[in-house]
Amino acid sequence: MKTRVLRRHSLPLALSVALIPAAAAAQGRPAGTPAEMVAAYDAVADTILAANKAEKKVVLSILAASYAHAQGELGRARQALKANDSAAAKAALENLAAAVGQIGTEGDNAVAGIRKRLLEGGHHANSEGEAQGVYEEGYVVVTRAAKQGFLASSKAIAMLAAQPNADALETEWKKVEAAWSQHVASAR
Amino acid sequence: MGRADRGSAPGPPPAAAGFHFVDVAPRLGVDRVLLAGRPEKDHLLDSAGSGAAFLDYDGDGRLDIYLVNGWRLDGSKVVERGRNALYRQRADGSFVDVTEEAGVGGEGQWAAGVAVADYDNDGRPDILVTNFGRNVLYRNLGHGRFENVAARAGVEAPGWNTAAAFFDADGDGWLDLYVARYVDCSLDDVLAARRTLTWRGLEQVAFGPFGLQGAPDVFFRNVHGRFVDATREAGMTDLARGFGFAVRAADVDDDGDADVFVANDSDPNYLYRNDGTGHFQEVGVPASVAFDANGAAQASMGIAAGDVDGDGLLDLFVTNFSEDFSTLYKGLGSGFFADVSRETGVGPATFRALSWGTALADFDNDGDLDLAIADGHIYPQVDRHPEFVGGYRQRNMLLENRSLRADAPAGAPPETLFRDVTARAGPGFQIARAHRGLAVGDFDDDGRLDLLITALDEPPELLHNESAAGNWLTVVCQTAQGSAAPPGTKVTVKAAGRTMIRDVAAGDSYASTHDPRLHFGLGTATRAEEVAVRWPDGRRTVRVNVPARQFLRVRPPEP
Repeated sequence: MKTRVLRRHSLPLALSVALIPAAAAAQGRPAGTPAEMVAAYDAVADTILAANKAEKKVVLSILAASYAHAQGELGRARQALKANDSAAAKAALENLAAAVGQIGTEGDNAVAGIRKRLLEGGHHANSEGEAQGVYEEGYVVVTRAAKQGFLASSKAIAMLAAQPNADALETEWKKVEAAWSQHVASAR
Repeated sequence: MGRADRGSAPGPPPAAAGFHFVDVAPRLGVDRVLLAGRPEKDHLLDSAGSGAAFLDYDGDGRLDIYLVNGWRLDGSKVVERGRNALYRQRADGSFVDVTEEAGVGGEGQWAAGVAVADYDNDGRPDILVTNFGRNVLYRNLGHGRFENVAARAGVEAPGWNTAAAFFDADGDGWLDLYVARYVDCSLDDVLAARRTLTWRGLEQVAFGPFGLQGAPDVFFRNVHGRFVDATREAGMTDLARGFGFAVRAADVDDDGDADVFVANDSDPNYLYRNDGTGHFQEVGVPASVAFDANGAAQASMGIAAGDVDGDGLLDLFVTNFSEDFSTLYKGLGSGFFADVSRETGVGPATFRALSWGTALADFDNDGDLDLAIADGHIYPQVDRHPEFVGGYRQRNMLLENRSLRADAPAGAPPETLFRDVTARAGPGFQIARAHRGLAVGDFDDDGRLDLLITALDEPPELLHNESAAGNWLTVVCQTAQGSAAPPGTKVTVKAAGRTMIRDVAAGDSYASTHDPRLHFGLGTATRAEEVAVRWPDGRRTVRVNVPARQFLRVRPPEP
């Protein structure tokens, strides 16, 4: 049952307005938005804009953590392959695949739950990009195209776990590095 | 002549070749209306529908039918609490309602799904009814009677439970249980629901699932007949709170243990890989079953598992919302998949329909798996705009697997693997309703697979298969005591140079349970060269040179 809905949270604004003294309205001043309300709204605007920036930074941090994790697992996979330790290589490659997949999905299932909650609340980090089909709903940094690339690499690396191969791993990792540079590092 | 032939509606005569299904439910007495909330479907619960099961509850060798039922609402008032229905099959092929004497009316709950298995290892099939509310577990007492033991068995799990699968996760001989759950909401929410979502700027329709919070799925470990919530310990915490609609346990990586695939509505699907000890890792993304080929989450509703291309690897089919493909994931081995919906013809054929229950089964006994799909929209309001998605009531769909077709002319251009043959599949496939659950079984033991399909606010359809069909073999896997073998039992049949695999399904379809007997179409082959059974504990039983057109009963070897 796939439908989409936009909602706006009005509670914080309503609370702010409720705190403003209403006396000015009763003193016969020229019509205009009371300065206190303008100031309050200005403060709320700062908060919203700061929250949006913070959201992007958090997501970039999540991506950086996944990438760092991937690099660590890549190192373990290389070592294991060099040592002909197939069990260790398999484990490292599976972890590497998971990390690359999580770059594509901007985090694991727990992050997906948060993203879903934001969408349910009507928050879209890239509403214009979503409308243009560039971003999936709720995604902050990773574009649709980048996501597909990371997912394909994740799968390719995971399949290598069944038949570890050093050359194939390096080829696939180069794709990950290129996608990272093009789509994520440039957004930092 | 099958038993049902004596009671079926006449319908047009079957074609000399091809598919032909006739709805025999009215004639055979399967007439329980399945209630589904309000007429205008103000809440998604009004539209979710309910499932059905084929089972032999009394061990008389004839398939019986169990239907689970919802409620009828009028605005915010509960008008009627629908009762579930158990139909016992008589010797003449007709069905009689034995719900009252069996004690399986549903306990007044709003039911969603049904899973059948012998959870307490007493040799009798038990019935789990998943509910919007508290689940009901009907323990089969024998002599045609059941008792609800959900509370003391520990599986009530209040909430919006949808589909469930019994399977032995840890190889201890006791069936564990995965329950998919949909939205976290109360009955008050349902009763107070108003249609507030705008559909295409034209109609106000039921709100959600976006805007509603997902309910986390639950995994129960079976400890000698008592269930313990082991979701976290097993590694199956539903972190994303996906809108779970269907579940299928199967050994997707062919390593000898049961993995679990969960279809989530509008969220990435999950694939939980079993490490062999009943502990799981969610690998849906690297396995390529979380998303479609475009990397997008789909509105997944139902699941069918089977080997569609005869390569010995399990493939997964997932039904989806209208104006989106239902998705066929081809098994690549070791638990990896690729979305092949477009090139196999499945995607284009299913794009317009809103699809739910489904099954991969060989309906013409030619040796390959065809696709049956239950269709129906969730918004009655779409009827005012048929140009977009057809109607609220939709025809079910039959896609023929063409991999083994004998009539391909030499030099013919490549054809898609599946072809939509709904229009030529007989009157049973021309019925337009808001269909939901789907179960497959050979209820009249004539060697052709029939279909039991539920619909909102209407009685179910029992589609008798009268197709021109090839030879067949049905393998009845039994425990040492003679009861149905547990889910996860896998059978491989070699015949006419082909190798076919089936398993006793754990979950599958939408909220429904198939006949546990495993059916194989043999085409023109008059015998199977080999029938190999892999029991859940790893033991194997092999029979060779098995004649066709029989129900072959197989029991495990002595330990």
